[in-house]
Amino acid sequence: MGSTSTKIKLRTSDQKVFEVEKAVAVQSQTIKYFYENGCPGSVIHVHSVSGDILSKILDYCKKHVNSAAGKEDISPEELYEWDTNFVKVDQNTLFDLILAANCLKIESLLDLTCQTVANMIKGKRPEEIRTTFNIKNDYTPEAEEAVRRENKWAFDMLGV
Amino acid sequence: MEWDSNSDLSGDEDEGFVFNDGDPLPFPVQNLLQTAPCGFVVTDAIEPDHPIVYINTVFEMVTGYRAEEYRGPFAKRRHPLVDSSVVSEIRRCLEEGIEFQGELLNFRKDGSPLMNKLRLTPIYGDDGIITHVIGIQFFTEVNIDLDPVPGSSIKESMKSSTRSHSGFSAFRPGIVGDRNVYRGFCGILQLSDEVLSLKILSRLTPRDIASVGSVCRRLYDLTKNEDLWRMVCQNAWGCETTRVLETVPGAKRLGWGRLARELTTLEAAAWRKLTVGGAVEPSRCNFSACAVGNRVVLFGGEGVNMQPMNDTFVLDLNSSNPEWQHVQVSSPPPGRWGHTLSCVNGSHLVVFGGCGRQGLLNDVFVLDLDAKPPTWREISGLAPPLPRSWHSSCTLDGTKLIVSGGCADSGVLLSDTFLLDLSMEKPVWREIPVAWTPPSRLGHTLSVYGGRKILMFGGLAKSGPLRFRSSDVFTMDLSEEEPCWRCVTGSGMPGAGNPGGVAPPPRLDHVAVSLPGGRILIFGGSVAGLHSASQLYLLDPTDEKPTWRILNVPGRPPRFAWGHSTCVVGGTRAIVLGGQTGEEWMLTELHELSLASSAI
Repeated sequence: MGSTSTKIKLRTSDQKVFEVEKAVAVQSQTIKYFYENGCPGSVIHVHSVSGDILSKILDYCKKHVNSAAGKEDISPEELYEWDTNFVKVDQNTLFDLILAANCLKIESLLDLTCQTVANMIKGKRPEEIRTTFNIKNDYTPEAEEAVRRENKWAFDMLGV
Repeated sequence: MEWDSNSDLSGDEDEGFVFNDGDPLPFPVQNLLQTAPCGFVVTDAIEPDHPIVYINTVFEMVTGYRAEEYRGPFAKRRHPLVDSSVVSEIRRCLEEGIEFQGELLNFRKDGSPLMNKLRLTPIYGDDGIITHVIGIQFFTEVNIDLDPVPGSSIKESMKSSTRSHSGFSAFRPGIVGDRNVYRGFCGILQLSDEVLSLKILSRLTPRDIASVGSVCRRLYDLTKNEDLWRMVCQNAWGCETTRVLETVPGAKRLGWGRLARELTTLEAAAWRKLTVGGAVEPSRCNFSACAVGNRVVLFGGEGVNMQPMNDTFVLDLNSSNPEWQHVQVSSPPPGRWGHTLSCVNGSHLVVFGGCGRQGLLNDVFVLDLDAKPPTWREISGLAPPLPRSWHSSCTLDGTKLIVSGGCADSGVLLSDTFLLDLSMEKPVWREIPVAWTPPSRLGHTLSVYGGRKILMFGGLAKSGPLRFRSSDVFTMDLSEEEPCWRCVTGSGMPGAGNPGGVAPPPRLDHVAVSLPGGRILIFGGSVAGLHSASQLYLLDPTDEKPTWRILNVPGRPPRFAWGHSTCVVGGTRAIVLGGQTGEEWMLTELHELSLASSAI
């Protein structure tokens, strides 16, 4: 399917057009599919990924493609470090990245971002989880008491 | 048709006629397909609920559903927000056997909205009955629209629906507006159930899941999923432990959520007595017992007049009336006692060492219990450890036998640790090189926890010129590049005075049970002083400062419990053989420490 310098054009929700190296763009299984099954040279619309998010995602893909291809001399530890910094973003950005990674089917990015969210949940009590993610407690007092009793064993373990 | 030749035709072979026999379709599919990728769905119109028999890759890509998930009734797959007037129009067309064309706001698996132009065409069989319905969906306007900013993409959808004058109200601004508000309110809850459950919650531990379930109703519903619980149990306990837990037949097994709770709190732990049939004859002592799935296997032992035995018995606890059965096994190892019997590779048993007719042994034999007929096979592992008896062994990763310590010729105690990888075609013994070893000993226990860490407890240990029963705990992390023994807690340690809580009194030939999650349960053995052998002690070596605590459980405990004659079946039942007296071995009267309640 052409040389590595082939470019794929992507258009975002805010009408920004990105011209991306094919090797980088096809990190997304969805883009890969549409590229291979669509008209050559046509613009692939990623309508609801904003330019900001797509730009971040492309940074990620580029870093990983370059490191895998040996174009960039980076150790696995350094790449891990880079990934760690990559997901140091505000929550809205993080969830946008998850939504985009899921839809664009970029497994490694989806794993990275979801692991980040999982780490934010780990070891927390329900109230702390609500605060962290701004989740509304929609239980009735009775239901909350029932659930609390059901899950008491876990809070006991957390020293509540 | 070539355009779809690389996608998997997942319907039954005989359903494939639509694509294969060259019948002209009632509309120019190929022309349509050249303009844009489109989803392609075939339903079986003869079955009452119109099950989907085929969907193509584009459909999977765009909707996020996989073909296998999409099996089943077409109508039931409908998202609650899909416009019901459009759906009833579709139904009307299908019932009248005419083609439907229109636009429909549908939803992807992740919940995001998706506009599609839909064309449903009935396919008639020879007898004039509609056999299949072919649906073609165009996703041109919103082809990879995942909608993080609902406002903008809805405008797009709106344009497309106005342009096409489909006559159906394709979406409800009010609902989409709600979604917008919802997003501003909480980011995490806009993720789909699938992403939340499979990608985020599945990375947590059982108690995190219990905590998450108390946050709000949607998360509560998500945590009521057995597959999720299985995954989190596996995260917390490791594959090997979940594999063992799964050897218990489905009907007798608790749900994973319940199991996680009971094995964490030990609230249901209890002693009970068990009477089984059959007999282990001739009678013997100093045999070795080991569990393979839900079966207890007994090998060898010391018969009358110190006769070393080499026969094999099996007690199948899956059976409704379990009984000891002598298993005819060809080419048995030389008779022995004071050996170890361990389970590797699922259904294989491995015997190492012990005391035979000619003295101490260091040979290795493996038996595949499920082979027909079962045959012992000697493993000539190069560079074996010194011949020994009353050593300790355990299984790492389900495939590697670890042997430590024991008693060598002329009563010399050993302190070495060896590993034999039985997944290799030609296993080779490897001594684990360490700078420092705990005092040499016999009759201790080795337990695996946290994946590849081992914990050594107790035994008869050398202390200067003397030998004492020990209650020391040492651990070693075998995943480290240069593993080393670490002292965790114990009486004989420098600066001790035992800060480690209520430690079990020093003992040897006791029982150590590795609990899922890393805790170690100790009981039984030959105990110094007037202490009860049946008292249970619990230690969590993963704690920052591991502390012993006593676990009291109801039921009648055995008077004795020996390490060599106790084994853990199905991950939750410690089966104690010979618990009545120290002299006579009544192997049909068993004691069981069950750590989780029985599902029946």
